[in-house]
Amino acid sequence: MVPFLGHGIGLRTKHFPELLEQGRRADWFEVITENFLHVGGRPRAVLEAVRADRPVVLHGVSLSIGSVDSLNEEYLRDVRDLADAVEPAWVSDHLCWGSFGRHNAHDLLPMPFTEEALSHVVSRVVEVQERLGRRILLENVSSYLTYSTATLSEWDFLAEVSRQADCLILLDVNNVYVSAINHGFDALEFLRGIPVDRVAQIHLAGHQNLGTHLLDTHDAPVPDRVWALYQDAVRRFGRVSTLVEWDDRIPPLDEVLAEAEKARILASAVLEEAP
Amino acid sequence: MTLSEVQALLHGRITGIVPDREDELREQVMASPSLPALERVEIYARMYLHRLVDAVAEDVPHTAGMLGHDGFMDLVREYLREHPSRSPDIGQVGREFGAWLGGREGFREDLPDLAILERARSEVRTAPDAPVAGPGSLQGLPLDSFPGTRFVFSPSLRVLHLHHDVRALWDALDEERERPAPAPRPTTLAVWRHEFKVFHTALSGSEADALEVAREGGTLEEVCGACAGEPEPAQAAFRTVLSWFADGWVSAVMSPDLGGAHSLREAIRVG
Repeated sequence: MVPFLGHGIGLRTKHFPELLEQGRRADWFEVITENFLHVGGRPRAVLEAVRADRPVVLHGVSLSIGSVDSLNEEYLRDVRDLADAVEPAWVSDHLCWGSFGRHNAHDLLPMPFTEEALSHVVSRVVEVQERLGRRILLENVSSYLTYSTATLSEWDFLAEVSRQADCLILLDVNNVYVSAINHGFDALEFLRGIPVDRVAQIHLAGHQNLGTHLLDTHDAPVPDRVWALYQDAVRRFGRVSTLVEWDDRIPPLDEVLAEAEKARILASAVLEEAP
Repeated sequence: MTLSEVQALLHGRITGIVPDREDELREQVMASPSLPALERVEIYARMYLHRLVDAVAEDVPHTAGMLGHDGFMDLVREYLREHPSRSPDIGQVGREFGAWLGGREGFREDLPDLAILERARSEVRTAPDAPVAGPGSLQGLPLDSFPGTRFVFSPSLRVLHLHHDVRALWDALDEERERPAPAPRPTTLAVWRHEFKVFHTALSGSEADALEVAREGGTLEEVCGACAGEPEPAQAAFRTVLSWFADGWVSAVMSPDLGGAHSLREAIRVG
């Protein structure tokens, strides 16, 4: 199993100066993999400085594990090279697809939860893990549509992928909440459907309510209902490395760190109530 | 529908490549009373355009500002039809925008060159790191190996051949001053990074020729040849080469006496 890293934050350009001047005050940092492929200059220098005294994980957005396109070998080589250089605690990406005909939509498009898609994803995860020489974590995405052809629930699909491909799960609690509202399922049923021993990381973030649906914007504090669901997740999955994402309208570093601290306090409260 | 057919259908609609097939989308995507199937797909289509417009704008902020929000978005929408993203890195999507803009009209004539400069500055800012060779690397070479000496340049050096001199425009926009009129004249700019700061400067004809020769693997003797049109060719070549070192453009000096042909070729290829 992967190590427990504590409560971290995403490494974002806006915080580079503060991180360099004031030290690396989060327990750990998550970096967007694609932002550091073949990259030098200040971003690389900051990454190396952070990595020198804190654990780092690589979080990709372009693996497109569910796409019918063949795997992008060059991209996988680049990710492996970066992982070899950075020595992250782990490498993660999303359970989704984002490209077709090698044309990247740069989005996390939801999978149809069918047996055909399950078998397709499982074989690709196995292949990717071989190429990268490590187990990967796959994250559930926020979604705004589902398919009429689905025969499995999202949580059953994710659980089966993790079991059959022997990969781990990055459980995004905000995404569970957003999708639960958008599609009318029970968020707790989602949590109950995920195998406890597969969850290696949790994501937290904010979203926006657009009236007809929730939009996963990562531009606001974690809402109370997501905090409550996080505590439900900690009750089920125990002590899990947790990370606060904030990618748009990014506030000063202290504000993001305060969210990570809040996660620590809320998780501790749940763990202390356990018999 | 197979997985492949579903992805083709949705991808086509979201990226705007295949705008129709609405009946099939209604069949494949679940609707709800508050959100019909097509509106659900449209959420992704809107995000696709906005995300990629933002990515291009990040490369060319002054160009985007001059075109205005709607004008810039319309142009990027058109650009994406011809240059869809082929890279897993969204930061690469605007790579050809400046050159593509060169084939369009309806805005300031020097805007495409400004976009090319801005994109180059953006690329240079995060280009891979490389060692910096000082002029001392030349001092240790035996005199008779000088003519055959070659240079490996930093991967963060770019050379741009533009139709306008956009330096004054870039300065004015960067300092939020009044914009000067377009300056239509062929201009070669070098763009590079020193430590974390990005610079650009214009090159004279012989400087540009000498740099082109050297970047293509030419020897110091051939670099001197590129300065033959100058009143004092040897001194001009000497000054040019020294300026490359002073600005940190050179990563390595490859003398025939110091390395084998293979390592030389490798170094030039990597550089």
